[in-house]
Amino acid sequence: MPDSLQGTLDLLILKTLQAEPNHGFGIALHIQNVSEGLLRVEEGSLYPALHRLARSKLISASWKVTENGRRARYYRLTPAGHKQLEKAAENWADLSKGVAKILRFA
Amino acid sequence: MKLLNRLARLFRRRNIDDDLREEMESHLQMRAELNARSGMTPEDAQREALKQFGNRALIHEDTRRIYISAFWEQLIQDARYAFRSFRRTPGFTLTSICALALGIGSTTAVFSVVDRILFRSLPYPHEDRLVSAGVTAPLDTNEFLLAADLRDWQAADTPFESLGSFVIGGSPGGAGCDLTENSPVRMSCAFVDWTFLPTLGVEPLLGRNFTREEDRPNALRVAILSYSLWQSRFGADPNIVGRAISVDTKPVTVVGVLPAMFEMPTLGQDDILFPQALDPASLAHPQTGPSLRVFGRLKPGISIPQTAAAMEPLFQQSLQWVPAAFRNEVKLRIRSLRDRQIQDARTASWVLFGAVITVLLIACANITNLLIARGATRAREFAMRTALGAGRIRLVRQMLTETLLLSFGGAVAGAILAWCLLYVFATAAPAGVPRLAQATLDGRVLLFTIVISLLSSAVFGLGPAFFIPNGATRSAGIGSAATRLRHILVSVQIAASLILLSAAGLLIQTFWNFQKIPLGMQTENLVIGSMVLGQRYTPTPARLSFFRELEEQLPQIHGMISYAIADSVPLLPGGNPFRLLAGIEVQGRPRFAEGTGGNVSFRSVTEQYFSTLGIPVLHGRSFEPADRTTNPSVVIVSETLARRLFNDEDPLGKQMRWNADDPWRTVVGVVGGVKNNPLLSGPDDPEFYVPRPGGAARRVSVVIRTSASASTMANSIRSAVAAVDPALPVTVETMNAYVRRLSDRPRFTAMLLAFFSSAAVLLAGVGLFGVIAFLVARRTQEIGLRMALGATSGSIVVLVLSHTMRWTLFGIVLGLAGAFFVSRSLQNLLFQVSEHDLPTFAITVVGLGAMAVVAAWIPSRRASRIDPMEALRQD
Repeated sequence: MPDSLQGTLDLLILKTLQAEPNHGFGIALHIQNVSEGLLRVEEGSLYPALHRLARSKLISASWKVTENGRRARYYRLTPAGHKQLEKAAENWADLSKGVAKILRFA
Repeated sequence: MKLLNRLARLFRRRNIDDDLREEMESHLQMRAELNARSGMTPEDAQREALKQFGNRALIHEDTRRIYISAFWEQLIQDARYAFRSFRRTPGFTLTSICALALGIGSTTAVFSVVDRILFRSLPYPHEDRLVSAGVTAPLDTNEFLLAADLRDWQAADTPFESLGSFVIGGSPGGAGCDLTENSPVRMSCAFVDWTFLPTLGVEPLLGRNFTREEDRPNALRVAILSYSLWQSRFGADPNIVGRAISVDTKPVTVVGVLPAMFEMPTLGQDDILFPQALDPASLAHPQTGPSLRVFGRLKPGISIPQTAAAMEPLFQQSLQWVPAAFRNEVKLRIRSLRDRQIQDARTASWVLFGAVITVLLIACANITNLLIARGATRAREFAMRTALGAGRIRLVRQMLTETLLLSFGGAVAGAILAWCLLYVFATAAPAGVPRLAQATLDGRVLLFTIVISLLSSAVFGLGPAFFIPNGATRSAGIGSAATRLRHILVSVQIAASLILLSAAGLLIQTFWNFQKIPLGMQTENLVIGSMVLGQRYTPTPARLSFFRELEEQLPQIHGMISYAIADSVPLLPGGNPFRLLAGIEVQGRPRFAEGTGGNVSFRSVTEQYFSTLGIPVLHGRSFEPADRTTNPSVVIVSETLARRLFNDEDPLGKQMRWNADDPWRTVVGVVGGVKNNPLLSGPDDPEFYVPRPGGAARRVSVVIRTSASASTMANSIRSAVAAVDPALPVTVETMNAYVRRLSDRPRFTAMLLAFFSSAAVLLAGVGLFGVIAFLVARRTQEIGLRMALGATSGSIVVLVLSHTMRWTLFGIVLGLAGAFFVSRSLQNLLFQVSEHDLPTFAITVVGLGAMAVVAAWIPSRRASRIDPMEALRQD
């Protein structure tokens, strides 16, 4: 079992970026909105996670201007990121299936 | 490439920080915008955004940590771990650092000295093209050239770009050189030609070089000051150029000041440079002019052998002016300036450098040994770490980090030790060790320290790392291969210390032999005051009257037993005048047919010279006041000269002379032989004496046998001289001080080697002790079993000792073989001792054997006290 909490955040970030490149604030907002407020990403976890993913070349970063004319650092998935996302999504499915079974059993 | 990236990132950290700061700022602004859109006031929106974001500094810190690479993280981890384990084993840590400090410290200190002698470039531009050139003859150990020959060289087309020279022994006229302003002081002056400084490539700091016109006779008197004279006597006056100073009571105009870095090519300390101003008319053969030290700058791309070959025709040409009998003994010599400067220091330098490198290697071997032993005791720890997933590379890295830290500690302690050692060298060293005063721990030397400490940590670190138990043997601990390596290391240490110890032994004997040289006189209670009569004393009557007045002063000195005046005294620096044996004529006997016959010293002395110095009069008589006529016709010869000139005949009454124009002199006495300079002269030192005042030489030495203390006598001599001429500087020294100076060089070399070899023996002893103690600990069970089966404690001691002796003997045999070869290179440092001196080697072997027994004794005692029951119960 991989380090699940950190792995979960990575998975959420990668999944968010699969749709389109986005900046940190956008990613946090997206996760919050899509999960209908169930998941809230702390900035204190988000930024180390983003930079760690960038460092391991799963995502790449570049400065761009938003629709509102503000400079922001945009992240996009790299090919390696795509692959990692597939794997992580699979793992997550297995994990949640397993956890669900155990919970049902109890 | 990876490393480059890593380095680049270290420098790019600012960028990462800036990016991150801006990224978080834009996040905040977007949040605030969103808040504002939901109806908050701009201030509230901002405040809320900040609240939600949390601690920015902390987030910044957490994120930045991502960029500190795993490399540094591991390194820090390893270092922290290493520190912890060092603290757990302070004995090991302290021993290793001390051993390393000893090795690195002595290597650094000696390097800082020999670097100047052997490696560092001389302070002249393109110094590789500078040579010392001239001819060698029995008169002088260094090459020289007569001024007439130099003119020929300069006129011809030679491989030299330029040639410069200075006059040997100060001024061409033999006058002294005193600064006669305020408090008069004796200076050391060099008389150089106008091409001297340009040949060396030296520009004056202030002012200019001499012009060609100033280097002619009867030109206006000019001078260039040394930096230190300018600083000490003229307060670094920036307007000194153009000022007139008083030298020998005559005005001289200063035209320049030498740079602080300037040094004479012979390393002499001269205070002031004057132009030679030689008269060209006096330089046509057969008139030769003064003897010069000549330095040349070769044209680019020409080697020294090529130059020597090219100069051969000119040399042959000048040989025709040399008397035929001496021609074989005159040789052309051209050598690099460095070789000229270091003279015989090259061998001593390499010997010392070799010695300290050996000490360093012994220290490294010791630490390797300790690390292997430590590796064995840590086998479990390593096994555990391997089990927890540490790779072999990771473990090796851990070990290397530890050794690097150790050698770093060793380097720091070593640098401190080197600094102390250098101080000791500088105070204990004799005069004349080239460039010792300049040796310092500068950047270049410290770089050397760092490099050798890194190299040594590679040497002692990789060996033990190789013996880290791998997966297959993780439970077995130390293998037999490691044990064998340790034994071999100890043997090699013993061998190396034997080589050093025997070399030290030979040099100590050399030093003793120097001390035992019979000098032919009684050196106790003799005080000597020396002076040189300057320009003012040029007319002979002035010198004679000085002499007469001084002789009136001397008998009044309190505490004086007897006194003598001579133009020179044995052992004093500056030597004494001499003639060639072949130049001495004996009446009724043909001259020597061939060769020079070597040098014969001579000096003019007063009547009590022999009794004052304790030189025995063997036959005939000493001088008498009646001999002091202006046209003296008597001479006293030394025993060896008597034998050379007259064989077995009675020398008394024989007639001899050394100048064809002189009248014959009658031999009135034969005295014992005296060593004038034991370092240069052969076993016998033939000499003859004439009565003073005679030619009334400029050099005057007052010798006093005294019952008073040397310092009172020094004051008495000074005031006696001052009563005659208050402006005349006097040097006062006891004869014994001059005697001690003779053995300064050998004492210094012997002392250093003795120090380094004791360090080597100590390290080897500690190494041996460590190995045996470890072995005893490992064989506790076996020894317990033997004792249970009836072995006595005595037989256990014998068991351990015999084991020790086996490896010691191996080392001793190895060392003897090495010493046999190494001592051959010592040959020209030795004096009256064979380089294969049997007693020295015997004592060395016995000493090392004793050391081995002592080192093995403690562990073997421990072995003999093992309780069999407890030993067998061990896991």
